[in-house]
Amino acid sequence: MGVLVAAAVLVMAADARSDDRLAIVTTTTDLRSLVEAVGGDRVSVVSLVPPQLDPEDYQPKPQDVARLKQARMVVRVGLDFDVWFDRLLQQTGIGRRDPRYVDTSFAIAPLEVRGATVGPGDGHAHGSGNPHYWLDPKNADIVTGNILEALVRVDPHNAFGYEANRLAFLKRLDGKLTEWEGKLASFANVPLVSYHNTWAYFARRFRLDFVGFIEPRPGVPPSPFQLSSIIKTIQARKVPIIVRAAHEPERHAAFVAKRTNIAIAVLAASVGALPQATDYLSLFDANVAALLAAKAGPKTGPKAGPRIEP
Amino acid sequence: MSDAVLLLWPSFLVALCLVGIHAYFGLQVLARNVIFVDLALAQVAALGATVAFMLGHPAQGTAAYGYSLGFTLLAAVLLTMTRVWSQRVSQEALIGVIYVVAAAAAILLIDRAPQGAEHLKQILTGNILTSGTDDLLVLVPLYAAIGGLHWVLRRQMQAHSLIGDLLFYASFGVVVTSSVAVAGVLLVFSFLIIPAAIGVIFADGLQRQLAIGWIAGTAASAAGLALSFVFDLPTGATMVCTFGAALAFAGLCYPFLRGDPRVALRRGLVVMRAAVALLLAGSAIQLMALPRADQPLLDSVEHFLPALRGAYFSASEVSTHEDANEFAERYRMQAEQLNEMEARSRSGSESIDDMTVRRLSSFVRSYSEMRKGEEFVMREVRARARERVRWVAGPVTLVLALLIFPGIAGRLRRAIENRRPRTAAPE
Repeated sequence: MGVLVAAAVLVMAADARSDDRLAIVTTTTDLRSLVEAVGGDRVSVVSLVPPQLDPEDYQPKPQDVARLKQARMVVRVGLDFDVWFDRLLQQTGIGRRDPRYVDTSFAIAPLEVRGATVGPGDGHAHGSGNPHYWLDPKNADIVTGNILEALVRVDPHNAFGYEANRLAFLKRLDGKLTEWEGKLASFANVPLVSYHNTWAYFARRFRLDFVGFIEPRPGVPPSPFQLSSIIKTIQARKVPIIVRAAHEPERHAAFVAKRTNIAIAVLAASVGALPQATDYLSLFDANVAALLAAKAGPKTGPKAGPRIEP
Repeated sequence: MSDAVLLLWPSFLVALCLVGIHAYFGLQVLARNVIFVDLALAQVAALGATVAFMLGHPAQGTAAYGYSLGFTLLAAVLLTMTRVWSQRVSQEALIGVIYVVAAAAAILLIDRAPQGAEHLKQILTGNILTSGTDDLLVLVPLYAAIGGLHWVLRRQMQAHSLIGDLLFYASFGVVVTSSVAVAGVLLVFSFLIIPAAIGVIFADGLQRQLAIGWIAGTAASAAGLALSFVFDLPTGATMVCTFGAALAFAGLCYPFLRGDPRVALRRGLVVMRAAVALLLAGSAIQLMALPRADQPLLDSVEHFLPALRGAYFSASEVSTHEDANEFAERYRMQAEQLNEMEARSRSGSESIDDMTVRRLSSFVRSYSEMRKGEEFVMREVRARARERVRWVAGPVTLVLALLIFPGIAGRLRRAIENRRPRTAAPE
């Protein structure tokens, strides 16, 4: 009997402790990882989009509304990346001025801005800029800053703890960044081709040279002209690697790689997209490793295979 | 040109192979009046592959193929049964139900295994552009075997017995399962229905229909592939549109080949005149009622013939419009240059700091706003010119439309001729 009571008390205590933690909802797994880095064990974070799905293409589920209603803080990517989140916010009555609302793109320097409205052109159909900014580790500084500000707003008692967490995380990140930059230094002047324009920020931080995309317009399959010109680019510039995000389709990248006999590096654009990428830091570990492995692989350049003459 | 041929010939061979078998099945499908059966079978095959994926089999392995085949055969049994059940509800309705339930079930399964989403999409989208000789090595023997089977069992197939139906749906399921993965749902549907429909329009016997279907399908495939290369368009969608155009063309040719060409020509002219007249009248009314709204006819004529603006713009309006156009283009180029500069700096010798990136972005935004301003000026100038001329251009176009409309001009001439003798008689 006594054991049972003790067990019940323990369970209730555990419940109470988990209730104590701030319930936070993020749209993507990357933001979940960064909120956890700042919040530590004071927060319990749920990411709405499962890691292997394309976060731009997510269909919310009924439980997501319930999760949002219980959340003390909601965190989104912004820059028109998670547009579907707007509908959920409307349903739960969380406005953009709500103290719980965090758009982590605030104060980010966006790349590839096209103006206020969506227009045609290469790359992303996002007028407000390329939204993949978390793939520059330096931007984590700004993102965690935005998260810290919001956490202090909803839970001021633990402000110092959050700040200490953030500084410790940024210090670790800084050390890692030097390591990654060192490892990727061998990619200086190595032209790369990616499946889609996902890697602008990543390229800018690590000085990578992306010379073309296989699918320039998201969701529109490449035309034969587009494919033949990317094959020509690969052959002319001796591109050794095609970079594809894990959630992007295999077919076209494999076709081009086969035609030109070069390697494909499958990278994670989000935490969890590859099994090794368990948090924000290991995301970059995994991507750096995948790039190095593709470079060291047996296929070293566009030599064999059917050539397309210019 | 050699580029295009090198890149496209495998796709063309695959298209030939697909047209070959689907034109035949299309004739059967049209005869049985089960038009959307291929969509249902493809969706069921995708559901089977999804189940295999959920159970941990690799996406492109034999297990996945086995599961899709098994599901397709089950669906074939169901489809055979639909004919028995279709006394009161049409068979197409039941086929549609099979399609939507299979599609929804696949979504439910994918929800439990998100890694499969991309895979499911690939089963149903396919892309004939990236198909190649290794696809042919699978498709040619498979289709030859199925074609041979149908030849041997042609008596049973035509008997419309339950066994014949089952054989038909099962073999068709096997064909669709493999062809959809290569070419996608939309293109396979076109391969199936359009050559067969063209064959049925122009011939009666199965062999003649098939021959005509094959010729039409081959020509449409070649035209679609060429167009998609020349105009830089996605291949599958271009081919589907080319097949649609081929059917429309065949429909237009039918009266000339099947009836008296002179009668057909006369009727064609009448229809065309009526269409042109209605188009003109509609545009004229819209110009008078809503001069500031989009004018589809006028806008497209102006797009291809900018000189038309000179006809109703004043001299100052022409120069304002040209200036605005020039500046809009200049702003666009300047914004592009800044974006290119930033993109080059990512890996180039000198990198740009965040502050400069922000400055560049704000310049790009300003240029884009300025361009929009110039575009607004162009629209406004045009709208004002149109408002000014609408009460002249509108009625004139309306009268022109009346004159073009078949029958009206003739009746008018006869009315004038009838009146003339009466007024002239007393003198």
